[in-house]
Amino acid sequence: MTAGTSHRLRFLVGVALAALLGAALLRAFVSGASRQIADEAEERKAIVTLQAATSLAHSAGDGDAVRKVMAAWQARTPSVSQVRVFLADGMRLEASTAPGDAGERAAPRRLQREEKPLYDRSQRIAAAAQTNREEQQARKAEIEAAPLGGGRLSLAGPVEKDRAPVGLVEIETALQPTPRTPGWSGFLLAVIAPLAAFALLALIIGERRLPLLLAGVACVAVSLFWMGRAAAAQIAAEQQRAAQAVAERVREQGAVTQEVARAQGLKTDPAAPGIWDVDGFRKPRGLIAADGSVDAQRLGLQMKEAAGAVRKTLLAAGALSLVLLLVAGLGGFSAVGATLRRHRQAYLYIAPAMLGMLALVFFPFAYGVTLSFTDSNLYNTSRPLSEIWVGLRNYADILGDFGFVKRSESGIFLNYLNFYWTLLFTILWTVTNVAIGVTSGLILALILNTKALALRPLYRVLLILPWAMPNYITALIWKGMFHQQFGVINQLLQVFGLPAVSWFDRPATSFLTALVTNGWLSFPFMMVVSLGALQSISADLYEAARVDGATRWQQFKAITLPSLKPALVPAVIISVVWTFNMFNIIYLVTGGEPSSSTEILVTQAYKFAFERYRYGYAAAYSTVIFGILLVYGVIQNRVSKATEA
Amino acid sequence: MESLRRVAAAALTALVAAPATAATEIVVWHAYRAEEKAALEKVAGAYNAAHPNTHVSTLAVPYDAFADKISAAVPRGKGPDVFIYAQDRLGGWIEAGNTVEPIDFFIDKDTKDRFIPTTLEAMTYKGTVYGLPLNYKCITLIYNKKLVANPPKDSDELVAVAKKNTDKAAGRFGLAYAYSDYYYHAALQNAFGGHVFEAGAKPAINNPDNAKALEYLLKWLDKDQILPAEPSTALITALFNDGKAAMIFNGPWFLGEISKNIDYGLAPLPKIKEAGNTPMKPWMTVEGALIAAPSKNKDAAYDFIKYLTDKPAGIVMAVEGRQSPANKAVYAEPKVAGDAVLKSFRDQVEVAIPMPNLPEMTMVWSPATTVMNSVTRHSASPKAALDSAQAAISKDVAGLRKK
Repeated sequence: MTAGTSHRLRFLVGVALAALLGAALLRAFVSGASRQIADEAEERKAIVTLQAATSLAHSAGDGDAVRKVMAAWQARTPSVSQVRVFLADGMRLEASTAPGDAGERAAPRRLQREEKPLYDRSQRIAAAAQTNREEQQARKAEIEAAPLGGGRLSLAGPVEKDRAPVGLVEIETALQPTPRTPGWSGFLLAVIAPLAAFALLALIIGERRLPLLLAGVACVAVSLFWMGRAAAAQIAAEQQRAAQAVAERVREQGAVTQEVARAQGLKTDPAAPGIWDVDGFRKPRGLIAADGSVDAQRLGLQMKEAAGAVRKTLLAAGALSLVLLLVAGLGGFSAVGATLRRHRQAYLYIAPAMLGMLALVFFPFAYGVTLSFTDSNLYNTSRPLSEIWVGLRNYADILGDFGFVKRSESGIFLNYLNFYWTLLFTILWTVTNVAIGVTSGLILALILNTKALALRPLYRVLLILPWAMPNYITALIWKGMFHQQFGVINQLLQVFGLPAVSWFDRPATSFLTALVTNGWLSFPFMMVVSLGALQSISADLYEAARVDGATRWQQFKAITLPSLKPALVPAVIISVVWTFNMFNIIYLVTGGEPSSSTEILVTQAYKFAFERYRYGYAAAYSTVIFGILLVYGVIQNRVSKATEA
Repeated sequence: MESLRRVAAAALTALVAAPATAATEIVVWHAYRAEEKAALEKVAGAYNAAHPNTHVSTLAVPYDAFADKISAAVPRGKGPDVFIYAQDRLGGWIEAGNTVEPIDFFIDKDTKDRFIPTTLEAMTYKGTVYGLPLNYKCITLIYNKKLVANPPKDSDELVAVAKKNTDKAAGRFGLAYAYSDYYYHAALQNAFGGHVFEAGAKPAINNPDNAKALEYLLKWLDKDQILPAEPSTALITALFNDGKAAMIFNGPWFLGEISKNIDYGLAPLPKIKEAGNTPMKPWMTVEGALIAAPSKNKDAAYDFIKYLTDKPAGIVMAVEGRQSPANKAVYAEPKVAGDAVLKSFRDQVEVAIPMPNLPEMTMVWSPATTVMNSVTRHSASPKAALDSAQAAISKDVAGLRKK
């Protein structure tokens, strides 16, 4: 579209796109919700059936009684194709109505080699029950469901004696097929209606932008609102239906179990929805009243929740559609298209590099940011991210924790793991290091710059050496030098009659060791930068100043420093960012001793990730560090105009 | 035309013949190098020769990346059938799911009885056995024969011998070991009945027995002054090899670092008088052969690990691989019984306690190191340090268990 395209056309396209997006989002939500409701209803029905069978197994005990009871029960429950009862003691298949378990393989018998999964399942469920009891929370599933394909489900739950699992009951049941996806008529109406309405209005309004915009927004909003109302009604109806279906199953199974128990002469408890309609952790869902009817109040609450979700989705869809409408209508797409076409050669040239950057820089960065919104740790790396999503909780934990002073019996002490303490320490570390580095580098550069200095090349090489050696090795050597008994530093101190210092025992001295090591490593860089800048200052300036009677100090302040600024400021920015993230020195020299008091942000993030295995939290930490440095870079750049030519 | 027909005939025969020679492939991952690797490959070769229908191939994966590779590859079905690793990550892998296969179903009583009981315990998690123990490692007393004539049997003797050999100014110490590493300190802690977890994987590191053990360590450090300050592994090795350390507590991994001119001996860790004459009970690391949950050949895999932990394979791993097998019967073999090093570790393992294999254990190391550092630097009392470690561990464990 060129600049000459009419506004009406632009807004028409905008309305079309907005209506499509909004309707598509709503439709996706509705079909997802209906599927979820249907699946949950099927699962609940299956669990009710399983629990009914389990209660029969409990009253029958073991032996022939349980076999007869299971056979009778299965005959009266058409949805179940087979039921098996397994007792762990002796690995006994106590009862089975599976077609293959007849004749020689009839129960009771010991499990055979290929039936290991059944045994493992029983062990897993027993371990899960034990874990839940010990941790006093519902964490591991005590009822296991495994889809078998072809719309069949295998469901297993524990059978207990004296409240301890001794085996399991496993049923194979057929699930009702999930409802077909809703027809497209609603979707098409939601797209075509606003389009037609807007086309009519546009003919009336003409080429004025603001009225066109308002008309477009009105059309899309009304259409989405109606679609949302229909969606809410549909979901409410489905929830009602699902609840009735489960209640029906509870009543039906209640009748069956009573019948079977009476026929076998056993006593069994009447259908107790509290024990039958449970979730995977065997906790009652509370949605069915004791007499088998649906609890209207609970159902009402559920429906209100669902209505709230529909409302939220409607708002989100509406907001996104509005954005799309604005962008398209006000000419956003045509502008982008024009730019791409005008500069297409340039875009083609940078395309390979952009692809590389995308794969190597942007994707890992985006993944890290995504990870920071989850609770990823060592034990849930194989779970999909949507399951472990926690939103901004990690950030709230990091930034919202202001408690860095704590009180205990031995007095007040600092909480070294607190983010704000670490931030303060990192800033202190950066400021002192850069100050020392710049000062010592500048002084050495000034010395090296004196005219006619003997052996200047030799000095230059020697002074570059600290930078040339890998800083990993240097850090380890310095750490050894600061050893309390065998380190060179302490031995030197003792030669001068001073007492040996235990460097890593107190935060201040520990900080000093890291400072000295990093000072040693950072002055060559500053020296080289300053030297280069110094040599570019013309000697005439100094000549003129001396003639005018300026002292050395005045010459330094008026000539040297301003000329150094363009070179030093970028070097300082780089040095600040490097020192802020100087992982090696802190990790290798002090290791955060004592008690994590000398940790900087980067080493804390590392320890959270790889010593405490909290990947999500560490990702959030890293994103915060990135944010801090980004803000610093932008501000510094603006203040000093350092990157301007 | 003739050559084409011949090629077609050859291709057809190849296609027909191939299925007939198809053997079950078992892939084994391990982190061994040098002699252990050679010994394992020899055992695998022997197994292949004896079982023509199975082919076992071994792959050496670098140790640093091993655990992470397993966590990443196995649950996605891209890993090996069998992998050999220590029990410390076992709990975590079981909780993550689809990584380790329980083998309770396969084990019969004879197989169970062949192992040193504590090693089988190390491979058991919440009542289910997940692997067969291959070998164990634990620390013991290593002494310089020139400086120590008879290794001490209890703590009084230990302190006496150590004091005789200590001259702080000259840099000589009677006892030098990495006492600020929680793994080494556990030997002392377990003698006092200390523990990290209570029943049900509840963290309980601040129990009074642990505090007593720490106070006892401080006695060695401050009152008896037989230990060097800031004991890094580099320092300990240097001291021992220079003949400046009379006794150290260390494990089989250290023996390769001892210089040739030091005449060293091994002895069981001494009994602690103040702990009711209980011997120091080091933690043992048990390496086990684990079957991957997504493996398609679990029966064959179990067959192989049963062979790997049997007596003939154990003798090869002991004599050539220099490992300490978990199979009791191996030690009756004269070649193994006559080896002083293997015999010492076998005696030591009688009192060793398996290191916890719970996933919560990974949360313990960092706070425990902080405890050891702050207590040995006297910046916190044992009780205060243990209390703050307990708080940190409980918080981390609760965070782990959040759904």
